[in-house]
Amino acid sequence: MKRLWGLMVVACAVWLSVGLFSATDARAEEAKPDGAAAAMEAKPAESVTPPSIQIDKTSIENGGTIVLTGTAPAGKPVFIEVWGEKKVRASRFDAEPDKETGKRPYVLYMTEDMPAYYKIFVPQDQKEKLDKAKTEGKKWSFSQLLKDVGADAAYSAPAKIKIDRYQATLMGSVIGSRGDILPQMDDKENKKRSMQLVKARFVKPEKVMGTDVQINPDGSYRAEIKIREGLAPGIYTVVASVDKSAKSQPVTFENHISFPLIFLENAGTSINIFGPFLLTLAIAIFGVLMGAGGGFIMNPLFVSIWPLPHTVVAGTVMPTVLFSQGSGIYNYSKIKFINWKLGVTIGLSMVIGGFIGPKLTELITLDQFKFVFGWILIVLAGLMFWQTTPGYIDKNKKEQAILKEFKQKAEAAARQKGN
Amino acid sequence: MIVEFWGQEFKVNVILGCIGGFLIAVVSSMFGFGGGPFMVPLMTVGLGLPMYVVVGSSLLAIFFNTMMGTARHFQFGNFDLVFFLIMFPAAILGGFIAPQIAKRVSPLTVKRIAVAGLLVLALNLLGVY
Repeated sequence: MKRLWGLMVVACAVWLSVGLFSATDARAEEAKPDGAAAAMEAKPAESVTPPSIQIDKTSIENGGTIVLTGTAPAGKPVFIEVWGEKKVRASRFDAEPDKETGKRPYVLYMTEDMPAYYKIFVPQDQKEKLDKAKTEGKKWSFSQLLKDVGADAAYSAPAKIKIDRYQATLMGSVIGSRGDILPQMDDKENKKRSMQLVKARFVKPEKVMGTDVQINPDGSYRAEIKIREGLAPGIYTVVASVDKSAKSQPVTFENHISFPLIFLENAGTSINIFGPFLLTLAIAIFGVLMGAGGGFIMNPLFVSIWPLPHTVVAGTVMPTVLFSQGSGIYNYSKIKFINWKLGVTIGLSMVIGGFIGPKLTELITLDQFKFVFGWILIVLAGLMFWQTTPGYIDKNKKEQAILKEFKQKAEAAARQKGN
Repeated sequence: MIVEFWGQEFKVNVILGCIGGFLIAVVSSMFGFGGGPFMVPLMTVGLGLPMYVVVGSSLLAIFFNTMMGTARHFQFGNFDLVFFLIMFPAAILGGFIAPQIAKRVSPLTVKRIAVAGLLVLALNLLGVY
């Protein structure tokens, strides 16, 4: 009862501020977005009764099936929105030419507040439209899909996340800056961009939409929702809605994970630690044998096998080789096998490159990451193949012999000095 | 630039070396791999240096890139500590096991397998199959 009064007060405040100070209403709404919206919409006579919702369990163990039931006004579609409390980063670089002006905006959209899990469940009869989006491949649009199935009004949880915009410039990218931060977007624009970020984060249509809501003619509905393994732990919120104004009370369930499953905060994914451990071990061994760092094989495999963002994979694999490189340098320097002048000169130019590269990682999508990586691997395979040709082997044999001789000389010299 | 190595002198085209190193560094830090397999051909074929000069010095040059790349990825929030702590022991362990296996297999065979494996992976990434 107390809560209802609270809502009424907020609703009146919102109504007043809309009339008096249109500039302040955004702040008032932000303070109590759902409540204010629901209370405001509850007044008009044409509003639809919000659907009821029941959940069959409140806790699952690393995924499971949740059954949601309830009643909505007969003949109305019911949409069920589910999102997790854990937040991850999502970013998208907009370099598509504008439809009207033809100019490329080069704006980087970035948020830290994307739910690690987000999915909207729609009535079963919308299956065709979802299938159509699946056939569009990488070109599917989340906002178009929502519109097609009539769920754009039900889309709410990610709509209000805080999105930062950066105006990227060529010069800015060269010096490794994200660019100037642009002013905050209005609610409508924020919602539109949030949909693009949902796509950037979840990549595939079937990840963000399911056609599992079964609706009976009398208005009752039932949805069996499968929460797959390897998702973020924590509280998940479920809301059923008929349209923008008619939303059910939120219900929640909790997803528990336990060892050997671990949640990666930055990647937003739960992972069985033995998977990456064994894969890294195998590739590290193979990498040493073939004479190329494991990163070449590890990174594309990680982004392909697990739903890990390419930025996190690139940024986390890179430091793992620091130690082996450092110990390698130490061993070579002990036998005076490093020319510091040469190494430092080229090293300085590489420092500049290393400054720029990580900036570019976040400007590309996962698909572009895979595509370019594909070509890099072809070049690498070419280089490796060249190293197996007879001419190279002959030359290499001589060089290896000299290398060995030098090493012995160097070791002897180092020993003498030591004594 | 003249480079002296164990009493021998080599003339190095430092501009080519720096431009090549820069480009390799951009790509390798962007995609998160070490640039060794590209640096060694650059320095042997491009700069005309013998292998024994290249092995240590190329490692030093790459180390600069890895340090900077790591710092920048960390700055951009791309570093996941838990993920790192899973991979790091595996990478170290791999470094100890590999030399034991290396004695028993021919490097040529490993390289041929690697070529085939890399091509398979590359075609998968390019979406050929």
